[in-house]
Order: sequence, then structure tokens, then C-alpha cells
Amino acid sequence: MNERRTILVRYDEIGLKGKNRDHFINRLVKNIQMQMKDLEGLKFKVPHGRIFIHCTQESTEECTRRLQKIPGIASVSVGVTREPEFDALAAVGVEWIEPLMQPDEKFKFCVRTNRADKSYPYKSPEIDREVGSRILGQLHSKGLEVSIKEADFILEIEIGQDETVVFYNRIPGLRGLPVGSSGDILGLISGGIDSPVALYRMMKRGCRAHGIFFDNRPFMGRGGYDKVVKLSKLLNGYQGKSQLYVVPFEDIQVAIRDHCRPAHRVVLYRRMMYRIAQAVAQQKGCLALATGESVGQVASQTIENLNAVSDVVHLSVFRPLIGMNKQEIINEARELESYDISIEPHPDCCSVFMPPRPATRAKIADLEVDETKYPWEILMLEAISKMETIALDALTV
Amino acid sequence: MIYLDNAATTPMDPEVIDAVQESMRKDFANSGTVYSLGLDSKRRLEEAEEQIRNSLGIPQNYKIIFTSGGSESNNLFIKGYGFPDRKIACLGLEHPSVTQTLESFREFGNEPVSLLDLQKEGRLDVSDLSRLKKEKVRLLCLSHVNNELGSVNDPTLILPAMAEQSPQTRLFLDGVQAVGKLKLSPAMWRGLAGYSLSGHKINGPKGIGLLVFEGKLDLKPQIHGGQQQHRIRSGTLPVPLIVGLALAIKKSVEKTEETIKNNQKLSRHLAAKLKILAEELPELNLQFNSSLSEDLSCQSPSIVNFSFAPVEGEVMLHHLEKKEIYVGLGSACSAHSKEPSKILTGIGLTPEEARCSLRISFGSHNTLADVDAFVATFGEAYSQLYSTFNRKTTHK
Repeated sequence: MNERRTILVRYDEIGLKGKNRDHFINRLVKNIQMQMKDLEGLKFKVPHGRIFIHCTQESTEECTRRLQKIPGIASVSVGVTREPEFDALAAVGVEWIEPLMQPDEKFKFCVRTNRADKSYPYKSPEIDREVGSRILGQLHSKGLEVSIKEADFILEIEIGQDETVVFYNRIPGLRGLPVGSSGDILGLISGGIDSPVALYRMMKRGCRAHGIFFDNRPFMGRGGYDKVVKLSKLLNGYQGKSQLYVVPFEDIQVAIRDHCRPAHRVVLYRRMMYRIAQAVAQQKGCLALATGESVGQVASQTIENLNAVSDVVHLSVFRPLIGMNKQEIINEARELESYDISIEPHPDCCSVFMPPRPATRAKIADLEVDETKYPWEILMLEAISKMETIALDALTV
Repeated sequence: MIYLDNAATTPMDPEVIDAVQESMRKDFANSGTVYSLGLDSKRRLEEAEEQIRNSLGIPQNYKIIFTSGGSESNNLFIKGYGFPDRKIACLGLEHPSVTQTLESFREFGNEPVSLLDLQKEGRLDVSDLSRLKKEKVRLLCLSHVNNELGSVNDPTLILPAMAEQSPQTRLFLDGVQAVGKLKLSPAMWRGLAGYSLSGHKINGPKGIGLLVFEGKLDLKPQIHGGQQQHRIRSGTLPVPLIVGLALAIKKSVEKTEETIKNNQKLSRHLAAKLKILAEELPELNLQFNSSLSEDLSCQSPSIVNFSFAPVEGEVMLHHLEKKEIYVGLGSACSAHSKEPSKILTGIGLTPEEARCSLRISFGSHNTLADVDAFVATFGEAYSQLYSTFNRKTTHK
């Protein structure tokens, strides 16, 4: 029963790239190999337009499960490699279709061939016909019929230069671009629902998304920190090699709380988070910032307030959730499996720091006046000097 | 490390750990089997049960059920006795495993009765219990010692008052915070319908507790299965945990007088030191939420609860944690859970006072030096946090 399986990986937008194509494919293959490095007996082949992974039947399920979590893959199919001979191909079809048929019930199928190897002497429709008629010949008496439009089962054949693969299922992948093909970014991550989704979206655009977390201890307990580490580990599972930077933020929050206008507090906190994030991004070679902000979701996310926080940085700030509503974000958090972690009840901010009436349209000139009231440059340098760096690949728990 | 949260849980007694370990090696056989190995386990169980009866003075007409802990014991008795339509009352200051269990009866159209208007300093005032009779209450559930305040509902005072004013009402006590902290009067068992306790609050193992109930009561089974434990709570019994529980009960009951004296010394010292601190720090608005009475029928000296608005309890807790001092909290200050403790608001505190509170609860390892270190660290943290929390310093 330990027959070898062939997993066929179709990549997504890489197919559209021009001269950089090889760079993107190599990156995707490397990412796949990194995620599979503990699985034994895998062999990779990269013919034109496809990636083939040869593996044992037992490791098939684990391989496909992992492939579904790697950005840049359009879909995955599990099949078997055969000689491109009609009888051998038809035998696979019979082996797969027969167990699915019910006595006294009609079952409809069709064959679809993709002939990548144009030197193969038959054209695709001819192969469809030849293989299909052989299967039909064996199972027609049991109720098998051909239907191209309403098939219960589609047997697919890929005829390549090196090998021919037969398969029937297409498992959708994450799509997008392989991580590492677009450079590193630094995402502001909290324990909430939105920011992990924002980082996830950036990963799917080929970025390696590192996280920066602003820690509220000792006003709040370690629960918030533990939650962000858990979320970051989850995200790292999709990309690998990412870091989480933890910056102590309490001194800055206390200073703003004690010296600035209450209504401006939240925007002032965020301006400091952006400034620190930019400094860390530059130190660590990240090309842009990313956040989970969405227009109008809370008082600090009005367009005026978003402008007021962007005003303190020159790096690009990516906000992949900007036009999404909360339910759409929650749906994506469920898909990412971050939702259950995000809703664990650990507070991310003490109520003492929240103003009773936050300004929804803070004016930059007013904020700048507030920022003359406390030594933000010194506090910022102090916070960065006390920053903790967590290499997420190295975390075992 | 200074651990002052013994009402949440306690460290295990090393002798209890040894007893549990030994039993884990020896008593692996299922106590429900009929070969001699299993019968040995059964004998260990019976010995443990006998030891518990002796330690707590439980009369023979009361049955014992081993559970996973206090919450399960409370659920098992209240659901088993009350289901589906017996009227049940509580003060409203009990542990959630009591109040939420009562709430669960609403789905049968059985509205629980709250006696919050009869509370005085967190205790039931027994002078007028006519509501129990008027509302045909069949079961009254109270904490023997309140888990946040340490206030005592003394069964030797409550039972006679109930017998006189509402004889058809039975009393169930949650004794989780009482065993080992107060002397249990043998007279308590006369008239009591049920009593619960938990191993981990008395330096015993987690995952084991006890329900004691009057044997003639017909409790509806909650866990169906192999019909163990009077068919009410089926499941193979964890002999090693029960052996540990029996030893923990024995040791804590034997030491009760010593514990009371030590706790009185500690709580007296804590109250005095806090009062001195309040004189030194005029901005410290100290308010004791638990009674400072030394009358053991009113207040357990194991718990001291106090408020210090405007500084929030949770923030203070984390500042103490930085110095490895661990204390308890009834409420959370987080921006997400603004709901203050129902017990503290129940005795009349404002939501702010409830949020700005801490619970100190003593264990046998605590010393006067622990209290000194706590008060000193509390004072430092308070001075540091006051300006941030004091609204008057806020810039307009």
C-alpha cells in the first residue's frame, strides 16, 4: 500500500511575472522546502509552470495540510505518476471511480487533459476520448456515463515532458505571492482581532511580516504579552524566520496621561507607536509599516486621526484592512485561526489611560503643542533600548 | 516571593504530596473491581472517608461524595436537590458556582430568590427571615465564609433562626473558604442539608473536593455511568487525590486554632500598618471592605479586603507582582471588562471603590514580615500611581 504519490502544486501570480519569474519560483520552492524539512522521503521537481512533490502515501495528508498554509500557491492536487499510455491512465480512473459508484445509480464523469509536452503525439481532446472510452468500457454496465457539463467526477491528466500525473482533486491554496519575494515589513500587532489579519494579508503579498508590540506592563499583567506571542507564533507558521519586537510603553503612556490633553491621548499614543515602529523598522531593515486600521472603526481611526499618526513617519504605512468592515475582518481571522486567540479576555489597555471623550478630529498643530509638554524623544530612545526581540522560529512553547 | 492570595489557592503541603505520590504508585487498581488488588484500593478509600468523617465530625446519617472541587460540589447539590422547580434562594454574594447554578434554573421557569436586602457586612441578617416562608423557599444557599470579604454566615446562628421563622427551608453552605480557617461546630451538622469543600484551598491537591449531604435527601444524579457514589456522581474514583484530601483536611483541622491565632495576628497587623500608611500618605483614601471585627461568628481573619480609590486594584496588583508579591483581586480594571465585583457592589460599594480594591488572604506560611513587605511595597506603588489616577491632576 505504500505507493508513491505525486503532489502537484500550481502557483498563483508568479505565473504572471516576466523576467523575475525564476526568482519568485525559487523563493516559493525554498519556502515549501523550509516548511517540509522535517518530513522524510520528499523529492521536488520543478518543470515549467508546476511544482511536483513526490512523497509516500502516509505523508500526503500532512504535506497537503502544510501546502495550504504557504502563500503563493493557487491549488494543490494529489495524484499518481504514470507512463503516458492510455491503458495505464484509464486503470487509475477505474480504480478511483468504481468505489464511488452506487448500485443502480447513474454516475457521470469526464476526463480533462492538459498537454504541457507538445511533443506528445496526441492532442488533449484525443487523450480525453481515448482514456475516457477505456474507463467507460469497463464501468458502463454498472451505470457510468460521460457528461462534460454535469460530471460527478473529473479525472485530470497532466502530460509533462518529464512525467505524466493523474489526479482528481483540487485543494485551494492561499494564493498571492511567496513570502520573501516582496521584502520585509514591520506590523504593529496588538492582542486584538484586526492586526493579525493585517499581517496575514501582507504575508500573502509576499512580505515577511515582523511584529512590534507595545507592552503595557506593569499596568496590565503578562496576559496581553503572552497572547501576542501566541498570535505571532501562529503568523510565523505561515512565513517562518519572523521576529517579534516587544517595546515597553508604559512610561510613555503615563507621561502622555499626566501631561497632555485627555481628548488627544489615544492619537498621541499612536503617534509614539508609529515613531518607534519606524525607528525599529529602519534598524532591522524593514521597508514599510503595516497596521490593522480600518476607516471609522474607532475614534482613533477617523481619516483625520489616521493622517495625524501617519504625519510623524516617512515610511509607507500599509493598512490592508482599511476598507473592510468588522465582520469581514472577523471572517478572515477565523480563516487564519487567530480569532479564538484574539478573543481571550486579556486586557490590552488599562482604563486609566483611556480618555472619557477621545478627539475624533485631532489637529496636527494641537498635537504638536501637546508633544512639547513631555520629553518624547528621550522616552522613545529609552523604550527602544529596553526592547525585547523574540525569534519566533526558536520558540518551542 | 510573598504569596498573599491563599483564598485563590494554596501551595501543597509536602507531606500531602508524599502521600499522593505513594498512593499513585500503590493504589492504581480500580476501587470498583472485585479482586483483592481492587479491594485494597477500596479499603484505602474507605479509610480516607472515615478519616474525613472524624476530622470534620460528620454524623453517620450524612453521605459523602468526592467531586472535582468546590464548584462541582455546589452544582451537584443545588441541581440535584432543586431540580426542576424547588424554590432556591441565596444572598447574592456567593461564589459564581452558586449564583450561576441558581441562574441556570431560570430555563425551567424557576426564578431564583435574592436576599441581598437582608445582607449586613456581607452576612445574612437573621432577624427577619419571613421572606423565606412567604416565597416558599425550599433551599437557602450561603457561603460559610465569603470568598472576597471573609464575612461569616454562622450556621449555629442561622439554623435556629430558620427553624423558627421558615421551617420548610433547608440550608446549604459552601464551606470552601471555611474549613481549616474556622472551627466547625459539631452542632452545625444538625439541620444542615449540605456542605461543600475543596482540597486545594487547604494545602491539598487540585481536582478534588467534597460534597457532604444529609443521606435522606434524594439528589437527582448529575453524572450517569457506573453508578458509583450513591449513583449521583458516577466515575472511577481518584484514590490518590482522595488520600491527599483526607490528609489535608486532617492537618488543617488539627491546626485550626493555631491558624486562627496566626491569621488574627496577621490581619490585625495588616490593618494597623495600613492605617499608619494612610496617616503618612494623606492622599491614600483607605477603606476596609471586610469587617475588622475579631468575633469569629462574624468575620474570618483569613481575609482582609480594602479599597484605595482612585488607584485601580488590577494596576496595583501588577505593580506588586513586579516585586514578587502576589495578592488577590475581585474585579478587573481593563478597558474591556469594566464590570466590578458583584460581591463588593452587593455590599454597597460604588463601582469605582470596587475596582480600586485588593483582597489579602493568609496562609500558614505567611509571617508579619510578609505583611510589612506588602505594606511597604503597596505604599511605594501607591505614591507612584496616585498622580496618574488622580483625575484632579489631569490637564484640561
